[in-house]
Amino acid sequence: MRKESIFERLPKIKISRKGFVKLCGIGAGSLVLNSTLFKFVFGQEESSAGRVTKRIKGMHDLIVAKGEDPYIMAVKAVETMGGMGKFVKKNSTVLIKPNIGWDSSPEQAANTNPYVVGALVDMCFEAGAKRVNIFDITCNNAKLCYKNSGIEKIAKEKGANVYFVDDWNFVKAKFNYDSPMQNWPIYRDALECDTFINVPILKHHSLVGLTISMKNLMGVCGGNRGLMHSDIGIKLAHLTDFIKPDLTVIDAYRVLTRNGPSGGNLEDVSMKKTLIIGTDPILCDSYAAKLMEKDPLSVSYISQAVKLNLGNADIMNADILTITV
Amino acid sequence: MKKLVLIRRFSQILFLSLFIYILWLTTNTAVFFKIDPLVSIFSLSALTMLVLTFIVGRFFCGWICPLGAIIDICGVKAKNRDLGFRQIKYYILGFIVISTFFGMQIAWIFDPLVITARFISLNFIPSVVFMLDKFFISIIKGMNFYTPLYDFYRFTKSSILGIKIYYFPHSFITLGFFLIILGLLVIAKRFWCRILCPLGAIYALIAKFSILRRHVDKCMHCMKCSVGCRMSAIKEDTSYRKEECILCMDCIYGCPDRATKFIWPVKKIKANEENGISRRDFLFLITASFLLLGFKSRTGGAKKRLIRPPGVTSEREFLNKCIRCGNCMRVCPTNGLQPVIFESGLAGIWIPHLVPEIGYCEYNCNLCCKVCPTGAIPKLNLVQKKEHKLGLADIDKNICIPWSQNKECIVCEEHCPVPTKAIKTYDEFFAGKKIKKPYVDTSLCVGCGICQNKCPTRPERAIKVSP
Repeated sequence: MRKESIFERLPKIKISRKGFVKLCGIGAGSLVLNSTLFKFVFGQEESSAGRVTKRIKGMHDLIVAKGEDPYIMAVKAVETMGGMGKFVKKNSTVLIKPNIGWDSSPEQAANTNPYVVGALVDMCFEAGAKRVNIFDITCNNAKLCYKNSGIEKIAKEKGANVYFVDDWNFVKAKFNYDSPMQNWPIYRDALECDTFINVPILKHHSLVGLTISMKNLMGVCGGNRGLMHSDIGIKLAHLTDFIKPDLTVIDAYRVLTRNGPSGGNLEDVSMKKTLIIGTDPILCDSYAAKLMEKDPLSVSYISQAVKLNLGNADIMNADILTITV
Repeated sequence: MKKLVLIRRFSQILFLSLFIYILWLTTNTAVFFKIDPLVSIFSLSALTMLVLTFIVGRFFCGWICPLGAIIDICGVKAKNRDLGFRQIKYYILGFIVISTFFGMQIAWIFDPLVITARFISLNFIPSVVFMLDKFFISIIKGMNFYTPLYDFYRFTKSSILGIKIYYFPHSFITLGFFLIILGLLVIAKRFWCRILCPLGAIYALIAKFSILRRHVDKCMHCMKCSVGCRMSAIKEDTSYRKEECILCMDCIYGCPDRATKFIWPVKKIKANEENGISRRDFLFLITASFLLLGFKSRTGGAKKRLIRPPGVTSEREFLNKCIRCGNCMRVCPTNGLQPVIFESGLAGIWIPHLVPEIGYCEYNCNLCCKVCPTGAIPKLNLVQKKEHKLGLADIDKNICIPWSQNKECIVCEEHCPVPTKAIKTYDEFFAGKKIKKPYVDTSLCVGCGICQNKCPTRPERAIKVSP
């Protein structure tokens, strides 16, 4: 006999009162089970107390490299600092955090110079790193930013993991002091790495004056980032304390002097051909601010960080070595 | 051995997969719409299809049409019933043609390719991606399995899945429409193709005179072919309605005597006069179509109230040219292009518009211009696109943080993609602190909506773009 099709059976199904109650029960039960499963998988909220660092010191407080080729400048500067082996241990995971925030070309100077990133990736692998992660939480569309900045291509060629950020992989920041950044979502990989190398580009920013390394750390934060802009100084100071970058490499090869941070006009870009390397992010930022002829303490996050005693902004008495490549 | 049936099934699945594949990549979608005479009657490929139909018959419906393939797959168990009402599809076709002459495009409601494209772009692909994504997340997060599956997940995301899971709040209507078409299978097999499809009607009108024909020799009248025919094209006396036959080849293999064949006849056989459209029907059609035009006068010249994709200047032209295939919404990298329901009237249903709060228009991107199969969104290059004004931003000083609370913010100015910044600020001193207060330079603003998208105020944004 031919089996009846669903279309023939459907109108014939009769349901009793008992059957109806049963059906409702099964439905409700599966809903409850589903939601608990869902909560188990997606509802976990992890938190982190920040990165623990060994506070490695380089040979000098600050190295300033001047030259024509950003790749060689980065290599020479790190060598003078004592070599990448000082910061990157064998079989460790390194995070390089460049600024890939905007959909613009390297010439427009809104994103970190790709050759500086490439040089760092090379040096990390030479020092024996197991993995080099590169990501940024972008302002424009991530795919376009990664592609047009040139960083994705160069870093991938050199063997680094360049990936897009997943919106479910954040952890909540827990500070052991009172902070406006309490419970802010931070991307997990920024905290679970052995070495954090912050590679910002020096450029103009309309709100804080300059975007340097501390401002670049905003790129590991999720949530409604626009809200960070009120009282940005104290928030960035606390964030820097939370992340504690091991090495800061400021790319000031091309510098956006107006209409930052996104830029776009080539007339706004000036060639400074400088690279600043240091272990103290506040000192690096202060030197970069001085390079742009600004008083470091006029930049709100530097002055807040100095107030909290997170670092040193006294560039007059620091051990600064300038090399020309 | 049902060789021909197997080939036919293979062809259907091949074209359906190809259709999904093309829509998934959204690179060359125009290929499919070019062969559709209802969408582009004057294209060479559409004319080729019509000529081929004249030679062999309605092969498109049975062998190529992706909607036909889905209907066949879902309707395996559906019943065969001859319902009549086959003229309805000619009426629908007539409505479409007549309203096109009067400058109102409604082909997109009933064209099967467009229906399938819309369903795949707005419902099928987002839900498949969503499910795969959640599946990966549940394994990675639930089992704390961060490498190397995580690397694989990232790879799939950056290559095929896409880094954004698309979401279209209004797409339930597209889904509903599609489900109704499938639901009609409860009544009969290929209900849509027999009675409603206007594209099928075009092919039927030509297939009536097609050269290839079905021939029955020494039949014992077991009626197996008539009962089994998915289009109910075979009559009691084993002759058949030529325009209804979609060449599915089922009747060849069901026949116990192997009496059925498809042959190329030497002498011409007169087409049977039945089930076409009579003179009276035609008059009725004309009269009824005028009723439909009542909608046009009210909605065709609708004012521009919504933000349209870049390059669209004339609202009326856009309404007429857009076939609502959903390609632009599928490619928009920020998911900002969304289908409207009734905001721009009945004639504007499912047409794309930009919703800045879901996604803004990426300054350095012209993908929607590139993929539009009909040119409703003009093919602008990047330089032209950057100059095109989508709308104008406006700041609500009651909500804006620097204006209403004297706190620092200017996220809008930071994100403004115009090189010289369409949002300017002026300084005001408040309690000894310098506060930058934003205002919009209307001559520079392109209305991309990134300021509205990134504005941190909730629930209402302090800066809004209006067309």
